[in-house]
Amino acid sequence: MSFFDLKGTLKPLTALKQFGKKPHTISYPKVSKEAADRYRGFHYNDLEECIGCGNCSTICQNAAIDMIHLEGIEGKKGDSGLRPRIDHGRCCWCALCVEVCPTGSLSLTKDYNYVSEDPDSFLWTPGKDNPQGKEKISFFSTEETSLNVFQRVPMPELEGKERVKSFAEVVLGYSETEARAEASRCISCGLCTEVCPDHMHIPEYINAIASGNDADAVRIIYDNNPLPEMCGKVCTHRCEDVCAIASRGEAIAIQWLKRYATETAATADITHEIVNPEIREANGKTVGIVGAGPSGLTAAYYLALRGYDVTIYEANAKAGGATMYGIPKYRFPIDSLDKQIDYIQSIGVKINFNTKVGKDISFKEIYDNNDAVFMGVGFPDAWSLGVDGENAEGSIQAFRYLYMINSGEKVDIGDKVIVVGGGNVAIDAARVSRRMGAEVTILYRRRVADMPAAQDEIDGAEEEGVTIVPQAIPIKVIEDEKGHVKAVEYLKAEMVPDERGGRPRPVAIEGSNTIIEATSVMAAIGQKGDYSFLEKEFEDKIKIERGRFIVNEKQQTGDPKVFAGGDAVNRTADAISAIADGFRACKAIDEMLMTK
Amino acid sequence: MMKELKEHIIRRVKANFTEAEENNDFTYDRLDFTVKKEVVPSLLLFLKEEMGFKHLSHASCVDWLEEGELELVFILWSPKDKIKVFVRTRLDRDNPVMDNMDNIWPQLHTYEREFREMFGVQFTGLEAPDEFILEDWQGPPPFRRDFDTAAYAEKTFWHRPGREDAQDVRETIANRDGEDIPDFAKKYSR
Amino acid sequence: MREKATTLYLGPQHPGITGNMMVRLKVEGDTIVKATTEVGYLHRAFEKLQERRNWLQAFTLLCRFCVPEPDPVEESYARAVELLEGREVPERAKYIRVLMLELARMGAYMLWYGGQNGSLGLYTMGQWSVGDRNYILDLFEELTGGRVYHMYIWPGGVRRDLPEGFADKVLRTMDYFEKRLKDYDDLMFDNTIFQKRTQGIGIVPKEKAVEWGVVGPILRGCGIKSDIRIDDPYEVYDKLDFVVPTHEGGDIWSRALVRREEVRQSIRIIRQVIEKMPSGEIYNKIPNPHKWALPKGDAYARTEAVRGEVGMYIVSDGSTHPRRTHFRGAAYVHAITLLEKVLVGANVADVSAIMNSLGTCPPEIER
Repeated sequence: MSFFDLKGTLKPLTALKQFGKKPHTISYPKVSKEAADRYRGFHYNDLEECIGCGNCSTICQNAAIDMIHLEGIEGKKGDSGLRPRIDHGRCCWCALCVEVCPTGSLSLTKDYNYVSEDPDSFLWTPGKDNPQGKEKISFFSTEETSLNVFQRVPMPELEGKERVKSFAEVVLGYSETEARAEASRCISCGLCTEVCPDHMHIPEYINAIASGNDADAVRIIYDNNPLPEMCGKVCTHRCEDVCAIASRGEAIAIQWLKRYATETAATADITHEIVNPEIREANGKTVGIVGAGPSGLTAAYYLALRGYDVTIYEANAKAGGATMYGIPKYRFPIDSLDKQIDYIQSIGVKINFNTKVGKDISFKEIYDNNDAVFMGVGFPDAWSLGVDGENAEGSIQAFRYLYMINSGEKVDIGDKVIVVGGGNVAIDAARVSRRMGAEVTILYRRRVADMPAAQDEIDGAEEEGVTIVPQAIPIKVIEDEKGHVKAVEYLKAEMVPDERGGRPRPVAIEGSNTIIEATSVMAAIGQKGDYSFLEKEFEDKIKIERGRFIVNEKQQTGDPKVFAGGDAVNRTADAISAIADGFRACKAIDEMLMTK
Repeated sequence: MMKELKEHIIRRVKANFTEAEENNDFTYDRLDFTVKKEVVPSLLLFLKEEMGFKHLSHASCVDWLEEGELELVFILWSPKDKIKVFVRTRLDRDNPVMDNMDNIWPQLHTYEREFREMFGVQFTGLEAPDEFILEDWQGPPPFRRDFDTAAYAEKTFWHRPGREDAQDVRETIANRDGEDIPDFAKKYSR
Repeated sequence: MREKATTLYLGPQHPGITGNMMVRLKVEGDTIVKATTEVGYLHRAFEKLQERRNWLQAFTLLCRFCVPEPDPVEESYARAVELLEGREVPERAKYIRVLMLELARMGAYMLWYGGQNGSLGLYTMGQWSVGDRNYILDLFEELTGGRVYHMYIWPGGVRRDLPEGFADKVLRTMDYFEKRLKDYDDLMFDNTIFQKRTQGIGIVPKEKAVEWGVVGPILRGCGIKSDIRIDDPYEVYDKLDFVVPTHEGGDIWSRALVRREEVRQSIRIIRQVIEKMPSGEIYNKIPNPHKWALPKGDAYARTEAVRGEVGMYIVSDGSTHPRRTHFRGAAYVHAITLLEKVLVGANVADVSAIMNSLGTCPPEIER
């Protein structure tokens, strides 16, 4: 190459042709380019949709997101009441907060231009401080892109056809792998604990399961629930209704996970070993408890742990109350109940079986001999249908029927059973009758969607071949010549919107009379209490209104020494509410007796 | 092919380094050898000169605090056979001493300086200034697991005011309901 | 007469130097007799910080290892995690990853065009190429939502599928670049000044190159054919047709020719990717990131970036957080042990050009 290279000198000069070209940039007036449709700019949060679970704050690896109280947003069930505030000075726009937001309320927008001399002005609350952001949402999550796992690990169950052959447990329970996978879906927000009447420590025990520490899970569960395996099998699991993941997917199977954890302790002894309860030294005080249902057992267990001498008086041969006599064994096997009762007895709770208060021992005697009394007496009676012929032979209370079956008695129901009602008892009676070989029809006044029974129970019944006739109002039980049930006559109903804004009411259609053959009729329209065991002298103090005891927030009746809980007190009438009542009463009794 | 190649390498290495423990569990182009630290330089040299592992892909140091050991890992690549070999050894965490190996690959010089500074590994014969990345550092080797970066940041820096009203979601709900989360369960809260 | 040696401090805030590092030069006249790389100006302890984050959170720090070309870092981390966990990646995601990697390579080479010429006082080239790079950033913005930091390739696949009409836009951009590269040749490769300032300067000896840990375009500039995309293929590179260019010489000029050709190969790869990309899933979803634990063990995954081999070594103790992540950057070798050797005998005026040519990148050293 010569020193003067003509080509190499001239070629670069072709750059001069660029002078004739239009510039890439727009120099004036300055217009900011509109960001791409997927741009990751400032956040926007739909404050209505947000439930304050705080998952955005937890995933933020820059600690840029605070959860704060906002004026005008109150916490409620399924909403912590907190909302994310973001320090955009720390944010790195990775948008992981968007990807983990279970509701999809949090997104990023096209807004990106912001200049300020005041660093504090970068700290603001998306949605509240940039309402206009709603129009510019660009980076958001969908069910597909979200990092939340919206599908539940399916619970293995017996097939419908198999189930009706026996009383074998329908739900088979998670395997270890399944439980870990299901527990791993939980984002640990704790919204569920608010809805649980007993405020169980749900995120904690689920996290223990997820990290492979079942023993810790069991210990956490027993902190405020001595009958968790029962809850794992039959709880109404309202916690799952508010699960953050349920906002766009299937709720974490909280109930099944509790069941999994408790079943890892196969016997009462193993349970004792794992829970390793700290039992305080006897404090010399005694507590008498009427009824060994969930509320009574709970109060007894935690009082005994606190050093009280506790005795339960139970009318039946077995403990468990409605969970023993009301719930069919394919949902709650007797072995499981026995294991839990054995464990409760193993820490020092005494149970006097076959001892009906008011008959075998007077309430006054219990009252006088103890420092405090707890009544968990439940609803032992049922409402009747109030139609002609309901006293015919073959007409039975569903509640009574379940009691007899669970006690091991034989009941002749024939091969055509009509169950009247739409609650869990109705479904239970129907499914038990199926197992006894009968064809079963449920008559319910309203629509299937209105049935108070749990959806999975309704599904279970249908899978097992139970026929549900909705909008049917029974008017007569027809007897045969021997006084035995022969058929049921009912009217079809139409749903009429309630003018006062309540739920639609069923109104019978005249002339729509239908007769359906039956060998047995079971009424399942509700239960009621029986308080005849209370002596006259207590009537003034222990108030009963609309069939239930009146108690304060500490489960205390008008007599400061007497506490009550369970179905005879609360309106939710389920096991977990009863357990919560028992736990609350225990704390109140302890406080009362220890400060005396 | 790959299987035979792996077996060949294992055979050759074992013939020369009887106590080398191999790990041939990988489904992809990788073999692992674990040896005593004294053997590392000669094994690396053997692999480089005799077996075609000319390229040092990477080297790393890992703190196994709970086991009281530091692990040195060397990742070698054979341009000829297209396979990776990991050579690993463990050092006593309280007295991590290793021979200098920058005569095998000059770039190991840099790695050794970094491991000395960040993990406290002493390389006998390494000639380099004490400081590499850090300046006037008096604390413990900062990449060791027991050096807590968050605690250090808390101590050294400060928080901008204005964010004290942040709430914990779990606590907020628990307080609202009077739920007492027992202490032993709190490690499972988020 | 032997001249007295003087010490010069080049950097850390020298305009011709890439990133925040310093080279201490011992010079006699304007000839360098000893060079020492001094780092410590931007240590952020990313690897240590990643240990405090879970396996997903750790991913957001990766792009910060390398501003001009963050995607190979994301890709090697994702692949290391997938290797350790045994997680499958959908085929379409692999193609999208290659598209990202090649676009990133082009974008980074556009910056190199600017830097290499800037270090020689030829500033027009940089104005063009950095301007043109914006067309690639526009593509990134549309695909990932971010222009420079994409945070897009993550364990299990990629974050979002191609938007409507994106493939066409990519092809149009490639058309533009093919035309535009001719202007680059006129201005740069045919330019006497560029030739004279680069030929025979900054020579890396071929026979020592592999042993010294030289990788990437620098090794290929020594005439050695070595490219991880071919030698240790990942994603879908084994299904694509492209050439690995080499040039004998080992000087800045040879390396520039290699890079010149590689931009064209990237365009070729991108066209094939668009053509061959199958439809289907783009993401094999990880579990809830807060509870996502990796099995105990370690893995190393590496990619061919513009500076050569970059890789991620990860170690899991079986928990939800990394026990250790260790990034391997080409500059860890090139900017210290190699640079210190190559600079000896060089002229002071050429230091910046040599550094740029070797792909000096301090963030890869200190991380």
